Amino acid sequence: MIDPAYVEGFVKILFVCVIVTAAYIISTRNLLTLVSVYAAQSFILVLMALTLWAVEGSPVLLAIAGITFLSKVLIIPYFITSIQEKIRIKRDLRFHFLSPTTSLIISIGLMLVIYIALSRIAQETTGTSSLFFFGAVIGISLMMMGMMVTFSRKRAITKVLGYLTMENGVLLFGLFVTELPFIIEFLIIIDLIILVLLTTILTVGLDSTLEEYHQRIHRFYLWEDEEAP
Amino acid sequence: MILILYTLLAILAIAAIALCRTHRQINTVSILHGLFTLLLALGIIFFVRIPTTSFVVGSEFFFIDHLGIYEVLIAAVIFTLAALYARGYVDSLLADGELEKGSLKLFYSAWSLLLLVLVLAFFSDNLALFWIFAELTTVISAMLVAILSARENIDAAIKYIFIASVSMLFSFVGLIFLFEISRSVLGTGTLNWTDLIQHASAFPAGLMIACFVLVFIGLAAKSGIFPFHTWLPEAHAKAPSAVSAILSGVLLNVGIYGIIRMFAIIHQTPAVGLASPILALFGILSIGVAVFCMLPERNLKKLIAFSSIENMGIMLVGLAVATPVAIFWVIFHVMAHAFTKASLFLSAGILHRQYHSRFSGDAVDEIRDVFKYQPLAAWGIILGGLAIIGIPPFAVFFSKLFILLQLGTVSLPVLVLVLILLFVAASAFGYFVITSFSQVSTPDAPFDREPYLTPSSMKIPVVILLFLILVLGIWFPAGEISFISQIVTELRF
Repeated sequence: MIDPAYVEGFVKILFVCVIVTAAYIISTRNLLTLVSVYAAQSFILVLMALTLWAVEGSPVLLAIAGITFLSKVLIIPYFITSIQEKIRIKRDLRFHFLSPTTSLIISIGLMLVIYIALSRIAQETTGTSSLFFFGAVIGISLMMMGMMVTFSRKRAITKVLGYLTMENGVLLFGLFVTELPFIIEFLIIIDLIILVLLTTILTVGLDSTLEEYHQRIHRFYLWEDEEAP
Repeated sequence: MILILYTLLAILAIAAIALCRTHRQINTVSILHGLFTLLLALGIIFFVRIPTTSFVVGSEFFFIDHLGIYEVLIAAVIFTLAALYARGYVDSLLADGELEKGSLKLFYSAWSLLLLVLVLAFFSDNLALFWIFAELTTVISAMLVAILSARENIDAAIKYIFIASVSMLFSFVGLIFLFEISRSVLGTGTLNWTDLIQHASAFPAGLMIACFVLVFIGLAAKSGIFPFHTWLPEAHAKAPSAVSAILSGVLLNVGIYGIIRMFAIIHQTPAVGLASPILALFGILSIGVAVFCMLPERNLKKLIAFSSIENMGIMLVGLAVATPVAIFWVIFHVMAHAFTKASLFLSAGILHRQYHSRFSGDAVDEIRDVFKYQPLAAWGIILGGLAIIGIPPFAVFFSKLFILLQLGTVSLPVLVLVLILLFVAASAFGYFVITSFSQVSTPDAPFDREPYLTPSSMKIPVVILLFLILVLGIWFPAGEISFISQIVTELRF
């Protein structure tokens, strides 16, 4: 059996890694590394699910780790990268309301607020261990940081990554707070993939002129049923 | 069983759409899909005992109660009529090059898929399942908004997806909370609405309010409640009018439906004391923001879209009152608003074909000689407008009247405030109709466009809907009253 203290230390290191990736996603202007950082963040979540599985032995956790690895570490990043190559956008320079520094400061503030709010709620439910409490705090913070990316960036493809980060936050929160039935986790992934597919295809349209857009759309053979090979 | 039937129906429809060659055939399939969904819903009402057991439905995660079948009925009526309308409307979009021929099958497949997902959402007993289907309705309907070959449509669709989906994630966190609450109280966690409402009185109030607020954020964004309403006017105004009717008449109901279910749960706990003021506050803010946006609005479809936000606000206010009578009329208002708003959007679509700016969906509509060119659409807007601002004998009058009367028993100042706001909304409609419809062309500035020959497939749905809202207003059969009362009882108000 694995030593609980060792596990706790390991999970805490993973928490720190998640926060570092989130901070990077908030502040970077480089789109190519953004996707790889997102993949890395998802991989950290997979590791967390595996660690929890090693301790609790629930097969649901193993299944969650499996589909997360498949969808968020492999499929979605691959898809976004291939779209990025097609539209040839390397950097997202424009920020809507917030500069990276203010975003980082605001996220630190948000984390404190969430910590205080959740510790109030945790008082009502007794018997939650500190690790699970931290998981909830980090999960919600990750959500908030993702939301800031979604609303402060101009390019739709960066917004998609913000949304994906938010979703990672929800997954983290769900992992530590409770154990949802596997079918629901599975359906969420399906929903996520459809959403990413649609928004990135639409993004191709937004980030180009309309004539170019139609040419590009045709490459995916989605809108032309006759001309597809 | 029932779910399998609905799914089979949708699969058949999509397969038929893929096989059809002409627009007429594809459209006929779409109309038939709506019609069969309607017939199936009527069959359930008359031949199945509601609320059903899980065996009849096909899964323990689904159930059919009066509220669910009521929403499906509304959705099926609007889908059928909007599909009929699309027969002429989409032809005209194709002729003008606003819709590409290659996108036709995608458009109608998404249409059928949306109907299926809506039915599944309304029949979900499990709230997480409901969440997923609601989320899918956003994605699919955004696809219908983005399908026109215009950049601003893509813009509107992306805005819609991001605002609705980001907010819906908060709802999901709320549901995780709810699951944990039910697990700590009941032993085994559940998100089945029927189980939750049975044991709701044992749930801790403090946690429930946190959970309610989180769930409310997402569903409020789905139904265009302030401050999450910003996507709504854009998406509703830029979508093809047949889609606008569905967005406003059916999709907004998904959000309100979820809020009603969630509020029914919290109504069993002491937390309702805090939840009601939250609903009332956001309801009044929505009405206020919407009516003041309506006043200067010169684009007809945007005006109607803002009126949807106002009506969602009224429903929230009615919910907040939370007496059985108020809930009864909120449920009635869901139907009255859906039909009235669908008729308005369909009429506006005809005017849009005649007068729309060739450059942008945002532009002011240059309506001139409306009674000469499009008399039916003009009367559709006038009568629909009278109906939506609450003039008797149309259906909306009664729901608004009784919701306001119930509000008066709780707080008189709030009632006065809401009345003033509704008066502003009425003036906004009146001002638009009087200024736009009185424009006539003069010899100096002749009207240079070809008159748009409205096909009868576009006129019939408008007439049917206007007839429907009139009948709903003057005839209350005993069956209808007992049906809605049954909903109120099942919600345990």
